[in-house]
Amino acid sequence: MATLAIDLLGKRLRNPVFNASGTLGYGREIEPLWPIDTLGAYVTKGLSLKPHHGNPPPRIWEEGTGILNSIGLQNIGLERFFDECFPFFKKRKTPIIVNFFGFTDEEYIRCAEAIRPDPLIIALEINLSCPNVKKGGICMGKEAQGVFSIIKAVKAVTKIPLIAKLTPEVTDIVQIASAAVEAGVDGLTLLNTMPGAAIEVKSRRLAFRGGFSGPALKPIALKAVTDVSKAVSVPVIGSGGIMSCADALEYLMAGARAVQVGTATFVDPYAIPAIIEGLKAYLTTHRLPRTEALVGLARG
Amino acid sequence: MDDIAGRIIENVSVCKGYYRCRIRLSKAMGKVDAGQFVMVKVPSSEVFLRRPFSILDCGNKVVTILYKVMGKGTDALARAARDDRVMVLGPLGKGFHLEKESKPILVAGGIGVAGIYLLWKRLRGRADVFFGCSTRKEVALLGDILRSHPHISTLDGSKGFKGSVVELLANHLSQSREHVAIYACGPAAMFASLKDRLRETGLPCQVLVEERMACGLGLCFGCVTKTTDDHEPYKRVCMEGPVFDLWQLSL
Repeated sequence: MATLAIDLLGKRLRNPVFNASGTLGYGREIEPLWPIDTLGAYVTKGLSLKPHHGNPPPRIWEEGTGILNSIGLQNIGLERFFDECFPFFKKRKTPIIVNFFGFTDEEYIRCAEAIRPDPLIIALEINLSCPNVKKGGICMGKEAQGVFSIIKAVKAVTKIPLIAKLTPEVTDIVQIASAAVEAGVDGLTLLNTMPGAAIEVKSRRLAFRGGFSGPALKPIALKAVTDVSKAVSVPVIGSGGIMSCADALEYLMAGARAVQVGTATFVDPYAIPAIIEGLKAYLTTHRLPRTEALVGLARG
Repeated sequence: MDDIAGRIIENVSVCKGYYRCRIRLSKAMGKVDAGQFVMVKVPSSEVFLRRPFSILDCGNKVVTILYKVMGKGTDALARAARDDRVMVLGPLGKGFHLEKESKPILVAGGIGVAGIYLLWKRLRGRADVFFGCSTRKEVALLGDILRSHPHISTLDGSKGFKGSVVELLANHLSQSREHVAIYACGPAAMFASLKDRLRETGLPCQVLVEERMACGLGLCFGCVTKTTDDHEPYKRVCMEGPVFDLWQLSL
């Protein structure tokens, strides 16, 4: 009997399919349609030390087969998350990956420090795509040196395994990933949304700026997963434009140990359970004993 | 609530630029509150996300929406034919909450009629309707509300009162001593004007808000509207709304 279960960061997970941060609300919102325990792991909405209001609307712009979003990291803050949302997860089995962010090195560190270890929390996922307000708004994850120092500092204050979620907007993703690994990161999520813009011809104006997501990102993130998983020893989680089981298989074969599904859920709210069922069927059809047999197959 | 496969039974123009679409569902949608909406996967490969539509009417595995062609999604939907397949996710959001002790007044601006029709139908003629649009041809949007002699305003004066529906409503309220509650749907400018004109009255007023949406389920925080809650100003239209208390909206 084939099993979808995978080992990640010393934990056994039911399957390798997670949601991408910020695409499944605070978790409970999806339960009218399917149980949160369907997931291999739930990745929280990006949390910060203090609540964050986010950006004024409009926050969404459809662009071809994708979306530009400018949510602006709205969240209720760590304290309210643990008071109001965590009890929901305590009554369930799905492990949690806590995605977090800050606008200065200090905010990142204090945020990581404030998250207390819990058997349910298998990892922290650090969002490195935020603008650093103390460095002229330049994105945290764009320079290897900056990534190294923030990872090092965060690792020093937490015992929880740390995953770094990298931005695609860099010159050399392998260099950035290597810097994170050298600083002691335990895993990598590749990739975050790609910064983009939209022009409206009718009004002749810059209509929207935001992070681009959707199927168009898949080849870009697949290349990153292929190159990075070859170069580093920590597990890689693939994310970017996964709409179907076939897409998820491509990421696993490229070297990802798990995948995150985001935008697909907006188009089809059952995308995640469908991908999981598809993976199960693939393993059975091809007489593969477990998901791990697929990881990195295509990479050589 | 569920994601239900459906087929278009009818997709007809009500007046220029506006369509009514009836969809037969493969299973019943469950209880629908007036003011709730559905996310429809438009039958076109050109349209990536679903589109939100107020539930105009529903029953016996048929859901009806009324829409204005605004952009790529509604344009593609207007070109959909009978028997085309669609996915319908719903019913979604929080609908109107009826104030039992007050006389209901329904206010709609243009396509906003799609948001109040079901409430009007369920109130079985107990509500006064105020409808405003640009010109007389759009009066057809009222459908069978017309039978109940609604108050009509047009911006060009081609039908009924010449001016805005909020002006018409304000004139009416100034001559009435009834205990009323207002339920409104229309563009943001109409809500701002309502807030302005009703401020002194302090009348209860619920408004159905429209916003660009991605998921419709509260997952993405893409469709927020600004409220007077200082701690958490941006509320999800799909989750905490689409119906909000006018006095709690920051317009």
